[in-house]
Amino acid sequence: MSRKPYQPPMPASWWLKHPAYRFYMLREATVLPLLFFVASLLYGLYALGQGEASWLQYLSWLQQPWVIALNSLALVASLFHAWTFFVLFPQVMPLRLGSRTLPAWLMVSAQWAGVLLVFVALWWLLGGLDAHQ
Amino acid sequence: MRTNKQDTPQTTPRRSDEPIWWSLFSAGGVCVAMLVPAIALLVLLGIPLGLVSAEQLSYQRLHALVFHPLGLGVVLGALVLPLFHAMHRIHHGLHDLKLAHGQLAKWLCYGSAIVLSTVAIALWLLSAF
Repeated sequence: MSRKPYQPPMPASWWLKHPAYRFYMLREATVLPLLFFVASLLYGLYALGQGEASWLQYLSWLQQPWVIALNSLALVASLFHAWTFFVLFPQVMPLRLGSRTLPAWLMVSAQWAGVLLVFVALWWLLGGLDAHQ
Repeated sequence: MRTNKQDTPQTTPRRSDEPIWWSLFSAGGVCVAMLVPAIALLVLLGIPLGLVSAEQLSYQRLHALVFHPLGLGVVLGALVLPLFHAMHRIHHGLHDLKLAHGQLAKWLCYGSAIVLSTVAIALWLLSAF
Protein backbone atom coordinates (compact mmCIF):
# COMPACT_ATOMS: atom_id res chain seq x y z
CA MET A 1 0.00 0.00 0.00
CA SER A 2 2.71 2.46 0.91
CA ARG A 3 5.11 1.66 -1.92
CA LYS A 4 5.89 4.55 -4.23
CA PRO A 5 6.44 3.21 -7.74
CA TYR A 6 8.81 5.21 -9.93
CA GLN A 7 6.89 7.30 -12.42
CA PRO A 8 9.05 8.39 -15.34
CA PRO A 9 8.52 12.04 -16.31
CA MET A 10 6.44 12.54 -19.46
CA PRO A 11 6.72 16.02 -20.96
CA ALA A 12 3.96 17.20 -23.31
CA SER A 13 6.56 17.32 -26.10
CA TRP A 14 7.19 13.54 -25.96
CA TRP A 15 5.90 13.05 -29.49
CA LEU A 16 8.62 15.25 -31.02
CA LYS A 17 11.34 12.84 -29.94
CA HIS A 18 10.97 9.99 -32.42
CA PRO A 19 10.00 9.87 -36.12
CA ALA A 20 7.35 7.21 -35.37
CA TYR A 21 5.73 9.45 -32.74
CA ARG A 22 5.74 12.41 -35.14
CA PHE A 23 4.11 10.24 -37.80
CA TYR A 24 1.45 9.19 -35.27
CA MET A 25 0.72 12.84 -34.40
CA LEU A 26 0.56 13.81 -38.08
CA ARG A 27 -2.04 11.09 -38.65
CA GLU A 28 -4.02 12.28 -35.61
CA ALA A 29 -3.83 15.85 -36.98
CA THR A 30 -5.62 14.83 -40.22
CA VAL A 31 -8.89 15.37 -38.33
CA LEU A 32 -8.29 19.14 -38.03
CA PRO A 33 -8.82 19.85 -41.76
CA LEU A 34 -11.51 17.14 -41.67
CA LEU A 35 -13.44 19.31 -39.21
CA PHE A 36 -13.38 22.11 -41.80
CA PHE A 37 -14.68 19.66 -44.41
CA VAL A 38 -17.54 18.68 -42.06
CA ALA A 39 -18.32 22.36 -41.37
CA SER A 40 -18.39 23.03 -45.14
CA LEU A 41 -20.87 20.19 -45.66
CA LEU A 42 -23.04 21.37 -42.77
CA TYR A 43 -23.12 24.89 -44.25
CA GLY A 44 -23.95 23.37 -47.65
CA LEU A 45 -26.78 21.31 -46.20
CA TYR A 46 -28.20 24.44 -44.56
CA ALA A 47 -27.83 26.52 -47.74
CA LEU A 48 -29.48 23.82 -49.87
CA GLY A 49 -32.48 23.82 -47.52
CA GLN A 50 -32.82 27.61 -47.66
CA GLY A 51 -33.43 27.86 -51.41
CA GLU A 52 -31.69 28.56 -54.70
CA ALA A 53 -30.33 32.01 -53.81
CA SER A 54 -28.52 30.78 -50.71
CA TRP A 55 -27.21 27.71 -52.59
CA LEU A 56 -25.63 30.01 -55.23
CA GLN A 57 -24.15 32.06 -52.40
CA TYR A 58 -22.70 28.83 -50.98
CA LEU A 59 -21.15 27.91 -54.35
CA SER A 60 -19.41 31.30 -54.51
CA TRP A 61 -18.25 30.91 -50.88
CA LEU A 62 -16.62 27.60 -51.92
CA GLN A 63 -14.56 29.51 -54.48
CA GLN A 64 -12.89 31.88 -52.04
CA PRO A 65 -9.12 31.28 -51.92
CA TRP A 66 -8.95 30.46 -48.18
CA VAL A 67 -11.87 28.01 -48.48
CA ILE A 68 -10.19 26.33 -51.47
CA ALA A 69 -6.92 26.13 -49.48
CA LEU A 70 -8.54 24.53 -46.42
CA ASN A 71 -10.62 22.11 -48.48
CA SER A 72 -7.51 21.11 -50.49
CA LEU A 73 -5.77 20.42 -47.19
CA ALA A 74 -8.77 18.31 -46.12
CA LEU A 75 -8.53 16.36 -49.38
CA VAL A 76 -4.81 15.64 -48.91
CA ALA A 77 -5.43 14.74 -45.24
CA SER A 78 -8.23 12.32 -46.18
CA LEU A 79 -5.97 10.58 -48.73
CA PHE A 80 -3.18 10.30 -46.15
CA HIS A 81 -5.65 8.96 -43.60
CA ALA A 82 -6.98 6.51 -46.22
CA TRP A 83 -3.47 5.22 -46.88
CA THR A 84 -2.78 4.61 -43.16
CA PHE A 85 -6.23 3.03 -42.71
CA PHE A 86 -6.00 0.74 -45.75
CA VAL A 87 -2.62 -0.77 -44.83
CA LEU A 88 -4.00 -1.57 -41.36
CA PHE A 89 -6.91 -3.66 -42.66
CA PRO A 90 -4.91 -6.74 -43.82
CA GLN A 91 -3.05 -6.67 -40.49
CA VAL A 92 -6.12 -6.34 -38.27
CA MET A 93 -8.42 -8.63 -40.27
CA PRO A 94 -6.53 -10.97 -42.62
CA LEU A 95 -8.97 -12.61 -45.03
CA ARG A 96 -8.58 -16.31 -45.83
CA LEU A 97 -9.66 -18.10 -48.98
CA GLY A 98 -9.48 -21.78 -48.08
CA SER A 99 -6.02 -22.32 -46.64
CA ARG A 100 -4.49 -19.27 -48.29
CA THR A 101 -4.42 -15.75 -46.82
CA LEU A 102 -5.19 -12.96 -49.29
CA PRO A 103 -1.98 -10.99 -49.92
CA ALA A 104 -1.88 -7.60 -48.22
CA TRP A 105 -1.23 -5.68 -51.47
CA LEU A 106 -4.44 -7.12 -52.94
CA MET A 107 -6.55 -5.96 -49.98
CA VAL A 108 -4.97 -2.51 -50.04
CA SER A 109 -5.50 -2.19 -53.81
CA ALA A 110 -9.13 -3.32 -53.48
CA GLN A 111 -9.76 -0.51 -50.99
CA TRP A 112 -8.20 2.08 -53.32
CA ALA A 113 -10.41 0.67 -56.08
CA GLY A 114 -13.35 1.37 -53.74
CA VAL A 115 -12.29 5.03 -53.43
CA LEU A 116 -12.11 5.27 -57.23
CA LEU A 117 -15.52 3.60 -57.58
CA VAL A 118 -17.11 6.13 -55.20
CA PHE A 119 -15.50 8.94 -57.21
CA VAL A 120 -16.85 7.61 -60.52
CA ALA A 121 -20.32 6.98 -59.01
CA LEU A 122 -20.54 10.56 -57.69
CA TRP A 123 -19.27 11.94 -61.01
CA TRP A 124 -22.03 9.98 -62.76
CA LEU A 125 -24.68 11.19 -60.26
CA LEU A 126 -23.59 14.78 -60.98
CA GLY A 127 -24.32 14.22 -64.67
CA GLY A 128 -20.69 13.77 -65.66
CA LEU A 129 -21.70 11.76 -68.74
CA ASP A 130 -24.16 14.36 -70.05
CA ALA A 131 -21.81 17.25 -69.42
CA HIS A 132 -19.03 15.76 -71.57
CA GLN A 133 -21.05 14.60 -74.56
CA MET B 1 -7.77 4.41 -16.42
CA ARG B 2 -10.21 3.87 -13.59
CA THR B 3 -8.53 2.71 -10.40
CA ASN B 4 -10.18 1.36 -7.34
CA LYS B 5 -9.22 3.40 -4.29
CA GLN B 6 -10.14 0.80 -1.70
CA ASP B 7 -7.99 -1.97 -3.20
CA THR B 8 -11.01 -4.25 -2.90
CA PRO B 9 -12.72 -5.64 -5.99
CA GLN B 10 -15.97 -3.92 -6.86
CA THR B 11 -18.91 -6.27 -6.67
CA THR B 12 -20.72 -4.77 -9.67
CA PRO B 13 -18.30 -3.67 -12.38
CA ARG B 14 -19.45 -0.67 -14.38
CA ARG B 15 -20.08 -1.35 -18.04
CA SER B 16 -17.70 0.78 -20.12
CA ASP B 17 -19.08 3.15 -22.77
CA GLU B 18 -15.79 3.02 -24.71
CA PRO B 19 -16.96 0.41 -27.30
CA ILE B 20 -19.58 2.92 -28.54
CA TRP B 21 -16.99 5.65 -29.19
CA TRP B 22 -14.44 3.27 -30.73
CA SER B 23 -17.09 1.76 -33.04
CA LEU B 24 -18.20 5.20 -34.22
CA PHE B 25 -14.51 6.18 -34.65
CA SER B 26 -13.81 3.08 -36.71
CA ALA B 27 -16.92 3.38 -38.89
CA GLY B 28 -16.11 7.06 -39.36
CA GLY B 29 -12.57 6.15 -40.41
CA VAL B 30 -13.87 3.95 -43.21
CA CYS B 31 -16.25 6.72 -44.35
CA VAL B 32 -13.50 9.37 -44.32
CA ALA B 33 -11.25 7.16 -46.44
CA MET B 34 -13.97 6.07 -48.90
CA LEU B 35 -16.28 9.11 -49.25
CA VAL B 36 -14.35 12.27 -48.34
CA PRO B 37 -11.91 12.28 -51.32
CA ALA B 38 -14.74 12.06 -53.90
CA ILE B 39 -16.94 14.69 -52.19
CA ALA B 40 -14.01 17.05 -51.63
CA LEU B 41 -12.82 16.72 -55.25
CA LEU B 42 -16.19 16.89 -57.02
CA VAL B 43 -18.38 19.06 -54.78
CA LEU B 44 -16.24 21.31 -52.58
CA LEU B 45 -13.34 21.73 -55.04
CA GLY B 46 -15.15 20.68 -58.22
CA ILE B 47 -15.66 24.13 -59.73
CA PRO B 48 -12.23 25.61 -58.82
CA LEU B 49 -10.48 22.48 -60.16
CA GLY B 50 -12.62 22.50 -63.31
CA LEU B 51 -13.82 18.93 -62.71
CA VAL B 52 -17.51 19.91 -62.78
CA SER B 53 -19.44 22.89 -64.13
CA ALA B 54 -21.67 25.18 -62.05
CA GLU B 55 -24.58 23.66 -63.97
CA GLN B 56 -23.66 20.18 -62.69
CA LEU B 57 -23.86 21.51 -59.12
CA SER B 58 -27.19 23.25 -59.81
CA TYR B 59 -29.68 23.77 -56.98
CA GLN B 60 -32.26 21.50 -58.64
CA ARG B 61 -29.84 18.57 -59.09
CA LEU B 62 -28.24 18.80 -55.63
CA HIS B 63 -31.60 19.29 -53.91
CA ALA B 64 -32.98 16.17 -55.64
CA LEU B 65 -29.84 14.14 -54.79
CA VAL B 66 -29.30 15.20 -51.17
CA PHE B 67 -32.95 15.20 -50.07
CA HIS B 68 -33.69 11.87 -51.78
CA PRO B 69 -34.58 9.22 -49.10
CA LEU B 70 -31.13 7.65 -49.65
CA GLY B 71 -29.57 11.07 -49.04
CA LEU B 72 -29.85 10.50 -45.30
CA GLY B 73 -27.25 7.74 -45.73
CA VAL B 74 -24.94 10.29 -47.35
CA VAL B 75 -25.49 12.72 -44.46
CA LEU B 76 -24.62 9.93 -42.00
CA GLY B 77 -21.62 8.66 -43.99
CA ALA B 78 -20.11 11.96 -45.08
CA LEU B 79 -20.95 14.16 -42.10
CA VAL B 80 -22.10 12.39 -38.91
CA LEU B 81 -19.64 9.47 -38.78
CA PRO B 82 -16.60 11.56 -39.87
CA LEU B 83 -17.56 14.04 -37.12
CA PHE B 84 -17.49 11.30 -34.46
CA HIS B 85 -14.21 10.05 -35.96
CA ALA B 86 -12.69 13.54 -35.69
CA MET B 87 -13.92 14.27 -32.17
CA HIS B 88 -12.65 10.89 -30.95
CA ARG B 89 -9.15 11.66 -32.28
CA ILE B 90 -9.31 15.17 -30.79
CA HIS B 91 -10.36 13.74 -27.42
CA HIS B 92 -7.40 11.34 -27.42
CA GLY B 93 -5.11 14.02 -28.90
CA LEU B 94 -5.88 16.40 -26.02
CA HIS B 95 -4.82 13.63 -23.66
CA ASP B 96 -1.67 12.84 -25.70
CA LEU B 97 -0.63 16.50 -25.70
CA LYS B 98 -1.41 16.73 -21.96
CA LEU B 99 -3.83 19.57 -22.64
CA ALA B 100 -6.91 18.04 -21.07
CA HIS B 101 -8.12 14.74 -19.82
CA GLY B 102 -10.97 13.47 -17.73
CA GLN B 103 -14.72 13.46 -17.98
CA LEU B 104 -15.22 17.13 -18.92
CA ALA B 105 -12.96 16.98 -22.00
CA LYS B 106 -14.53 13.68 -22.99
CA TRP B 107 -18.09 14.96 -22.83
CA LEU B 108 -17.21 18.25 -24.53
CA CYS B 109 -15.74 16.27 -27.45
CA TYR B 110 -18.45 13.65 -27.84
CA GLY B 111 -21.16 16.12 -26.79
CA SER B 112 -20.27 18.54 -29.60
CA ALA B 113 -20.32 15.63 -32.07
CA ILE B 114 -23.77 14.62 -30.81
CA VAL B 115 -25.14 18.19 -30.98
CA LEU B 116 -23.79 18.91 -34.50
CA SER B 117 -25.01 15.50 -35.76
CA THR B 118 -28.48 16.28 -34.41
CA VAL B 119 -28.40 19.64 -36.22
CA ALA B 120 -27.37 17.94 -39.49
CA ILE B 121 -30.07 15.26 -39.26
CA ALA B 122 -32.70 17.88 -38.30
CA LEU B 123 -31.71 20.07 -41.29
CA TRP B 124 -32.05 17.07 -43.58
CA LEU B 125 -35.43 16.02 -42.13
CA LEU B 126 -36.83 19.57 -42.38
CA SER B 127 -35.98 19.79 -46.10
CA ALA B 128 -36.70 16.20 -47.11
CA PHE B 129 -40.28 16.20 -45.81
